[in-house]
Amino acid sequence: MYGGGNIFDELKADGVELEDPVKLEAFEARIRRGEKIEPSDWMPQLYRKQLIRMIEQHANSEIIGALPEGTWITRAPGFKRKMALMAKVQDEVGHAQLLYSAAETLGKPREKMIEDLINGKSKYSNVFNYPTFTWADCCFISWLVDAGAIVNQLANVKGSYGPYCRALDRICAEESFHLKYGHHCVIYLATGSQLQRQMFQEALTRWWAPMMHFFGPSDKISMHTEILMKWKVKMGTNDDMRNQFLDMYVPKIWELGFTLPDRNLKKDTQTGRWIYTEPDWEEFKRVINGGGPCNKERLEVRRIAEERGRWVRQALKSPKTNYVTPLA
Amino acid sequence: MGAPSFEITQDKLRYSFGLINRMTIPPALNSLDPRVHRLPITGEPGPLVPLAPLDQFGTFEVFVQPKDGKPFQHEGIVHAPNLKMAYVLAKETFTRRFTCISMYVVETRNVMVSPMSEGDMNAYDLIDEESVSYNVGEKTRYEIYHLMKRGKQQVHVGSVEASHPQEAFVEAKQMLNSEKAVHNIWAIRTRDIQFTSPEEKDLWLTLPEKKFRDAMEYRGGEKLKQFLEDRKRHPRYE
Repeated sequence: MYGGGNIFDELKADGVELEDPVKLEAFEARIRRGEKIEPSDWMPQLYRKQLIRMIEQHANSEIIGALPEGTWITRAPGFKRKMALMAKVQDEVGHAQLLYSAAETLGKPREKMIEDLINGKSKYSNVFNYPTFTWADCCFISWLVDAGAIVNQLANVKGSYGPYCRALDRICAEESFHLKYGHHCVIYLATGSQLQRQMFQEALTRWWAPMMHFFGPSDKISMHTEILMKWKVKMGTNDDMRNQFLDMYVPKIWELGFTLPDRNLKKDTQTGRWIYTEPDWEEFKRVINGGGPCNKERLEVRRIAEERGRWVRQALKSPKTNYVTPLA
Repeated sequence: MGAPSFEITQDKLRYSFGLINRMTIPPALNSLDPRVHRLPITGEPGPLVPLAPLDQFGTFEVFVQPKDGKPFQHEGIVHAPNLKMAYVLAKETFTRRFTCISMYVVETRNVMVSPMSEGDMNAYDLIDEESVSYNVGEKTRYEIYHLMKRGKQQVHVGSVEASHPQEAFVEAKQMLNSEKAVHNIWAIRTRDIQFTSPEEKDLWLTLPEKKFRDAMEYRGGEKLKQFLEDRKRHPRYE
């Protein structure tokens, strides 16, 4: 699990006033009652559009996120770590499959989503535009990026769209192994040699800014998300998710004797909220718009994979079966 | 290594590749991923050409039986060029991790779907029995599925004999209707389904052996406890 819960594009909350007020009220009443929305139900255009974006970008994050970890499968220390990492990366790609299916129920075919990803039209989680230099970088992703994604997704599983919730249920169930595996890898580095400790400390220092960016821009500058919260598309604000992550994982990082590269980081015992140096949101924007160290490579690798697989798809293609929108 | 940063330098590339650092790094794609350097058609990143529109495969619905005595339930979809390939891909996508004993697939367009009911209304009450013609042609078997709660999965409840899908819904209403409101009903002609044969069932026998995918295998607690006690006695890491 690598992404989820974030919409990386600007939100234009317009068009809602053009919806049929009676249908809109029935739709909102259903959500207030805690019932799930199913694909054949009436829904406002904005709901459909934002859900497609969110689920699609989540799915994109899963397949792109498999790249920086996937590159370490052959170099993971020992056979058991190789087996585990291979299984984990395969799971993540499987998660992309489940998520694309959920987005498809809203009317966007999968091929179109892959096309938009490769052509740079749709986003994925910014954190994967950075490289994994060492095994410790890979462990950082396995433990902490996954942990961040889980914080987002445990919230989203309570959202309103049935197919997305069902996909997340499956995904969360598979995640228990990933998180334990990631923590296990980091414990081994932390309790290992000075060089191993140094490797993880350096990874932590490198990845802290991207990790703080992971939950999206601060609520102070974030786009208007009230309507998405009301419709249970988004289940928590970016700052809430970030705070929850810090609350759960900073003590675990400190416990291992590592230093986080933010002198201001501490928990306010009065409010229960974490205090930290405001992440550099200009840098976030620069990277998400193509300026990161790996943006080009990530899309290029996907494009090459598509091109190299094309002859297989064309050889298998049969005119007897046709694409239809999935049922649930 | 220098100060930790994300800048890709030749030093870091060497460090990252270790012994396999024998490739030349193409200037346009200064990647740390050895696979990128093995890709023969890379070099200059090419223009991003839109995909051909014909690549999209058909859609198939996947059903899994989690345990002996439990009914089959809908798990999701796969895209595939035909029913046989759909079965193979479904096995990878849906039965890779969780123990199950059987699975089947059917093309989505062969699933007949009832209207979705509102509130406490039963979807069977939305079926117009008057307009259905009975016993026209040969009868065949249909599998029937119920959705008992929004947000949950369709679950197999039984089968009926009918000469067409509408008749199958009416038959199911008489034979399989439940006390609780059914929100949605699916009917699938049995012969459209790609089942698992009894001899194929050993496909899933190895699942419980794959311990490296089990969270229980990754308990680091003892090692962590030892480390913390050690640190208290000899604060060498400060």
